[in-house]
Amino acid sequence: MAIIEAKQLVKTYRSGEVETPVLRGIDLAVEKGQWLAIMGRSGAGKSTLMYQLSLLDSPTSGEVVIDGRNTRDLSEREKMHMRLYKFGYVFQDYALLPELTALENVVVPLLMENYAQSDAISKAQEALTKVGLGHRFHNLPSQLSGGEQQRVSIARAVAEAPEILFADEPTANLDREASLVVMEIFKELNREGQTIIMVTHEEEYGHLAQRLVHLDDGRIVPDRRTK
Amino acid sequence: MPSFLDIRVGWYLAIRQIKRASFWTTGLIVFVMVLTFLDLVVVTGVLVGIVAGVTQLYRTQETGDVYISTLDTKNYIDNSQRIISFLKTLPQVENMSARYTANAEIEANYKTAVDPNVKPNETGAEIIGVDPLQENQLSGISSFVGEGQYLAPGGLDEILLGSNLIDRYSFGGDILPGISVLHNVYPGSKVLVTIAGHTREMTVQGIMVTTANSPLASRAIMPAAQLREILGRDDYNVNEIAIDLKPGTDPEAFVSLLEKSGVSQYAKVQTATQAIPSGIAEVTATFSEIGNAISSVGLVVAAITIFIVIFVNAVTRRKFIGIMKGIGISAQAIEFSYMFQSSFYAVIGSSIGLGVLYGFLVPYFASHPIVLPISRAIIVAPVGETMVRVALLVAATLIAGFLPARMIVRKNTLDSILGRE
Repeated sequence: MAIIEAKQLVKTYRSGEVETPVLRGIDLAVEKGQWLAIMGRSGAGKSTLMYQLSLLDSPTSGEVVIDGRNTRDLSEREKMHMRLYKFGYVFQDYALLPELTALENVVVPLLMENYAQSDAISKAQEALTKVGLGHRFHNLPSQLSGGEQQRVSIARAVAEAPEILFADEPTANLDREASLVVMEIFKELNREGQTIIMVTHEEEYGHLAQRLVHLDDGRIVPDRRTK
Repeated sequence: MPSFLDIRVGWYLAIRQIKRASFWTTGLIVFVMVLTFLDLVVVTGVLVGIVAGVTQLYRTQETGDVYISTLDTKNYIDNSQRIISFLKTLPQVENMSARYTANAEIEANYKTAVDPNVKPNETGAEIIGVDPLQENQLSGISSFVGEGQYLAPGGLDEILLGSNLIDRYSFGGDILPGISVLHNVYPGSKVLVTIAGHTREMTVQGIMVTTANSPLASRAIMPAAQLREILGRDDYNVNEIAIDLKPGTDPEAFVSLLEKSGVSQYAKVQTATQAIPSGIAEVTATFSEIGNAISSVGLVVAAITIFIVIFVNAVTRRKFIGIMKGIGISAQAIEFSYMFQSSFYAVIGSSIGLGVLYGFLVPYFASHPIVLPISRAIIVAPVGETMVRVALLVAATLIAGFLPARMIVRKNTLDSILGRE
């Protein structure tokens, strides 16, 4: 059974009289434990598709079904809860809060999940250690390299074992060495059963996923498995 | 509806944002809050303190804590000596001064007047006859003698003049119609004092330099024995008795005691508050309202300052606010973090302000009043009223912190993350 499903997903941006269709009827289902890479040229609609699937945006029409539940009628608070409890996010520019240390950045969503502070800290330390940052708990983002910041971002996303990990161009700002470290972490997470939906424009990393979806002009071109 | 969880996460974020904010920025905002707090409290405090200073002058220089004066139907307090003897037996009495009063004409420069057609240099004054030692113990009157010396016990033909009677101190003397003052009068000068038709040449022993509306300013003081002699009085009935009570004694309870003891049959018995000229309470209320009006402008300025600070902070952090919402941090938690920050500024500013106010300003100006033409002003800042102002400041800054945070937090999450308008 699919853990997340898009049905006839359409997203059109409007600016005055001008309409710009970005997604033109996407049908896509991702199964639990699958690592999906979404690829395509710039403007193909990759990130827009990920924002709809991850409930950061609402489609113009169509449905996103998560664990069998249609998300169309969810309130903002319910969507927030779903993002908090079911999803993890890794953004291209790391998206860490600059005034919080690596540890605190990971702790905040855990506190929001009602963990006691000591439990949240333990879980955050565990997650950071897992991505190789056991020695960087108390560094601010400005004191970390790009690769380290992205690993903090991954630790924040997976600390509470989300059902789906969304990653938007996670290696776009990193050098090759740091990118390979991030991809290794993704491989390890996926081996442990983590569902991953990753947007990338880099063929090399896209091919690491179990499944590759190409978008072109808002439509999926024939689905092909890489593994 | 905000939950405890929202408050908890908001607090966690706020503490760290404050801790890692620029020291100078935080310091500047807190400084603005301290100034606003002082503006809120001190402006009203000084305005009310001007009136309180006047009240204090009357209490010190005229009425004491309890004031016994003639009945409206009498010229003197009958049975004065029995009343004084009774007062001396009461343990609550710290000091007291019994006084004789009379109206007098005082003339100066009569020795140098050569033209009988020129109006003599004279002025009217209320003459007070006192026991110099008792009076000084009660009112500390000798400390107000700015020129010359205080009356010596047993001194003969000596007089102290209030500063309103002397040209170089008088406010509007010889300019305002109906006011005449004495010229070239210094300690040692001779003046002619006419009381009830009896004239006596006396030496100016000293000049009491006080504010224009002080009770001493328009009075002349001489030893009681001398005044009685000029008046030709052979009784010992006085016109007023001022009493200072021992610390902790309730003046109203003491007045009740005197009334029950029959003193009120012969005299009016009043607390200082009752005896001080009417209108003081109304002036106090007026000044208080003026102070509140001025202070409220300060409150608005503080609220706008906080609004701008939080708005700029929230706008520049809009992307991070979007990210927080994106990863599941509730909007309320983010709003609470900003409200905690703004209330932090207000609470720290008010706390420092309270320290400055009660640790320095109030005690300092109590012992060194601000000398103004009409009063020796102190700062009146009752703790209850001050706390109301602290609450007002915190409430205003809370709202000023909440509004801009809400404006930014309500923006579309994805637009905030991507920096789209």
